Amino acid sequence: MAKILLVEDNEMNRDMLSRRLQRKGYEVALAVDGRQGVEMGQSGEYDLILMDMSLPDMDGWEATRRLRATDGSGRIPIIALTAHAMAGDREKALEAGCDDYDTKPIELPRLLGKIEALVGGD
Amino acid sequence: MNHRGALAHRQAALLRLSTAIAAADDEKEIYQSVVDGLHDEALGYNFLGVFLLDPETGDRVLQASVGWPDAPANMRVHAGEGLSAQAIRDGQLHYTPDVTQATDYLASLASGSEVDVPLRFDGETIGVLVVESSVPQAFGEEDFEILEAAVNQTGIAIGRARLLAAERRRVNEHKALLDTMADLSSELELSRVLQAVIARAVTLLGVTGGEVAIYDEETDELVVLASENIGKDSIGTRLKPGEGAMGNVAQTLEPLIIPSYHEWRGRSEKYADVVVHSVMAAPLLIGQRLVGAIATVHSDPARVFGPEDLRLLNLFAPQAAVAIENARLYTSAQRQKQYFVALVRNSPVAIVTLNREKRIVELNPAFEELFGYSQEEAFGQDLDALIATEATRREAEQYTLDALDRPVHGIARRRRKDNTLVDVEILAVPVIVDGERVGLMGLYHDISELLRARRDAEAANSAKSQFLASMSHELRTPLNAIIGYSEMLQEEVEELGHVELQGDLEKIRTAGRHLLSLINDILDLSKVEAGKMDLHLETFEIGSMLDDVISTVRPLVAQNSNQLDVQRSGDMGAMRADLTKVRQMLLNLLSNACKFTQGGTITLAVVREGSEVVFNIRDTGIGMTPEQLGKVFEAFAQAEASTTSKYGGTGLGLAITKRFSRLMGGDVRVTSSPGEGSSFTIRLPAHVSAASVSSAATS
Repeated sequence: MAKILLVEDNEMNRDMLSRRLQRKGYEVALAVDGRQGVEMGQSGEYDLILMDMSLPDMDGWEATRRLRATDGSGRIPIIALTAHAMAGDREKALEAGCDDYDTKPIELPRLLGKIEALVGGD
Repeated sequence: MNHRGALAHRQAALLRLSTAIAAADDEKEIYQSVVDGLHDEALGYNFLGVFLLDPETGDRVLQASVGWPDAPANMRVHAGEGLSAQAIRDGQLHYTPDVTQATDYLASLASGSEVDVPLRFDGETIGVLVVESSVPQAFGEEDFEILEAAVNQTGIAIGRARLLAAERRRVNEHKALLDTMADLSSELELSRVLQAVIARAVTLLGVTGGEVAIYDEETDELVVLASENIGKDSIGTRLKPGEGAMGNVAQTLEPLIIPSYHEWRGRSEKYADVVVHSVMAAPLLIGQRLVGAIATVHSDPARVFGPEDLRLLNLFAPQAAVAIENARLYTSAQRQKQYFVALVRNSPVAIVTLNREKRIVELNPAFEELFGYSQEEAFGQDLDALIATEATRREAEQYTLDALDRPVHGIARRRRKDNTLVDVEILAVPVIVDGERVGLMGLYHDISELLRARRDAEAANSAKSQFLASMSHELRTPLNAIIGYSEMLQEEVEELGHVELQGDLEKIRTAGRHLLSLINDILDLSKVEAGKMDLHLETFEIGSMLDDVISTVRPLVAQNSNQLDVQRSGDMGAMRADLTKVRQMLLNLLSNACKFTQGGTITLAVVREGSEVVFNIRDTGIGMTPEQLGKVFEAFAQAEASTTSKYGGTGLGLAITKRFSRLMGGDVRVTSSPGEGSSFTIRLPAHVSAASVSSAATS
C-alpha cells in the first residue's frame, strides 16, 4: 500500500484522518507544520502528500512551492486540503504545484477517489 | 418845466432812463429806475411814485418813490380812493392841474398839480405812475409824452422781468427738487430726507417755517419728523386726523390755507405756544394714499398765503410725498437687506460671495471660522487660489466657472489658512439681480465629522465581517472534528456490527453538516458585505455545468417524491462567470424548491436571451404570501422560525443567491402565491466582465 505524508497542524484532524486512512490500509506519516512537511517530503519516502493549506510557520502553498523547487526525477503527488471551498483556493493550490485539491471536512470516499487516481498506478 | 432845460439834455436824460430800465433785473429795480430816471435834473420831476394793483384787494401798493422821504414802504391806497384811482379805472392818463380843487385828492407833500399815468402789461392795467408838482398847472403836453413813453418802457421791462423771474423760479424749483432727489440717494435716513425737504420748501416759498409729518398707518396718526424754524422742537409730535392744520388736511386730503391761525377753531393745543399767524398745509399723497402732510407758516401778520403759494406747495407736495415714499421703500429695502445680511452672518454654514471676476466680495463668520481667513484678508482674493489645494485647483476652478451659470453641488477637499485640509460639501449658485448675473455664492459645509463617522462605521462593519469570517473559521475546525469522528464511529460500528448506534451517530453527523453549511453561508454573506468576495471568472460550458448541478440535486428531488423537468436547448454554448457561484446559486434555488414541494414538479428552464443567460427554477409547492415575498431575499428570512426546523436550510441561501447575482452584474427575481408554488428567475450576463462587476458592486 502507498505511503502517505499528512501535513496537518490540527491534532484532531491529524488523528482522525490518519486513523481513517490507516483503516483503509494506507501507511501514514505525520508532519505538524509546513517546515516539517517540506523536510519529510524531500526524503523521498512517500508516495503522496496530503497538504493542509493553513499551516503555522510556513503555509501549505509555500511548502508546496519549495517541494516542487527541489523535485528531482520523481515528482511526488500533492493533494491540497483547504478549510473551505473558497473561490480561488483551488486555483491557488494548483498554481503552487498541487496535483489536486479537496475541502475539509473530509468526505472520505471522495478523498480516497482522488488519492487512488494519483497513486493507483502502484 | 419843459422849457427850463435844453432839448439835448432832456434827450440824454431819457436815454439814461431807458438804459437803466432795460438793465434792471427785477420788478422792484425797474420801478426804482423809472422814478429815479424821471427825477433827473434835465427833466425836473420832483415827486414820483409807482403803485401796483393788489389783484386780490384792488389796493394800490407803493413799489418805489422819490421825493417822499417819509413815504411808508408798501404804502397802500385803498381801491377807489385818491386821484390815481381814475387812471386805474379807465386806463387813461389823467391830469389834475390844481389838486386843491379836486375832492378825491389825498393829502400829500406836493399840493400843486398831479399827473396819473396807468401802467399797463399784457393789455391790463397793473398799476399807476403818479407824478406830482408843488405848483399848480405844472405839466403840459410834452410832459405827458415823456411820461407815457417812460411808462411804456416800464411795461415792456416788467414783461421781460416777469418772464425772467418765472424762468428763475422754475430753475430754482427744479434745483430744489433735484437737491431733494440727491438727498434721497445720499442721505439714507427718512427724517434727514424730510428735514431737507422742508428746508427747501421754506426757502422756496419764502415762509417763516414749516413741518413735515409722516402718516403712521398702525396708529392712524401723523408724526412730525422734520421741523424747520417753527419756534419749538415739534419733532415727534403726534397728531390725530382732524387735529391741527396737518391733521385737517390728512382727513380731507385737500390743501388748506388758514389766514389767521390763532382764531381757527381746528387749531391744536400742541401748538399753543407757537407764534403763528397764517398757515398753509397740504396732504402728501401717493395716488390716493396718505403718506404724510406738509405745513408752512408765516409768523409775520403782514404775510398772508395766496394762490401762488398754494401753486408752489402743490408743485412741491407730490414730490415730497414721493421722497417720503422712496425713503420709506428704501428703509424697508434696507431692513430686508439687513435681514438677509443677518441670515448670512448667523448661518452656521460657511458662505462666500464672489463677483463676476471671481474675486471674494464677502464672507460670513462661519467661513472665517472654517477656513481661518478674515474678511479683510480674503477680500478681493481669488477664492480658488485661497482654499483649493494643488490637487483640487482645477476642479475648484471648474466649480466656480459652472456656478456662474447654474447651481453646482459636490464634495471636495479644501485647504485652511494653516494648511490643514478639510472635507467639505459645496453648494454654489449664481447670484442674479434684475436678470443680471453679478457673481456667485458658495456654501461650504464641513463634513469632516460626517466622513470620519462614515469611515468609522465602515471600519466597524468591516471589523464585524472580519470577526465573522475568522470566527467561522475557528468554529469550523472543531466542527470538522465532530463530523469526522462521527463518521469514523459510523464506519467502526458498522464494522463491529453495533447497528443500534448508527441512528444516533447519523444525527450527530447531520446536525454537524447543517451547522457547517450555516457557518459557510455566514462566511459568504459577510464576505460579500465586507466587499471581500472575489469573483473568479472562467469560461465554461453551460450544458456540462447544468449536468453537474442536476446530478447533484437528483437525490434531493427524489426525497419528497418530486419530478424534475429540465427545459434546455441542445447546445447552450459557453458563458463566462464565476462557476462555483453559479452552481451554488442554482443548487440553492433547486434545493429550496425540493424542500417546499411535496409530490410535485420542479422545473429548471434555461435559455439564452440576447447577451444574458436566464435560469428559471419553479415549483408546484407551498408558495409564499406577498408578505413573505417582500423579505424573501433578506438574511434569515424564512417565513417563520418553525419553517427552518420543518424544512431545514440555513435561511441564508436566497440572500446569498441575490448577492452573488448582483456581484456578477445580474439579478434574481421571484413570483409566488400561497399554494401555487414559486418561480425564481436568475438573469446573468453571458459574459460577466470586470466592468459589470465593479458597476454592480457600487450599486
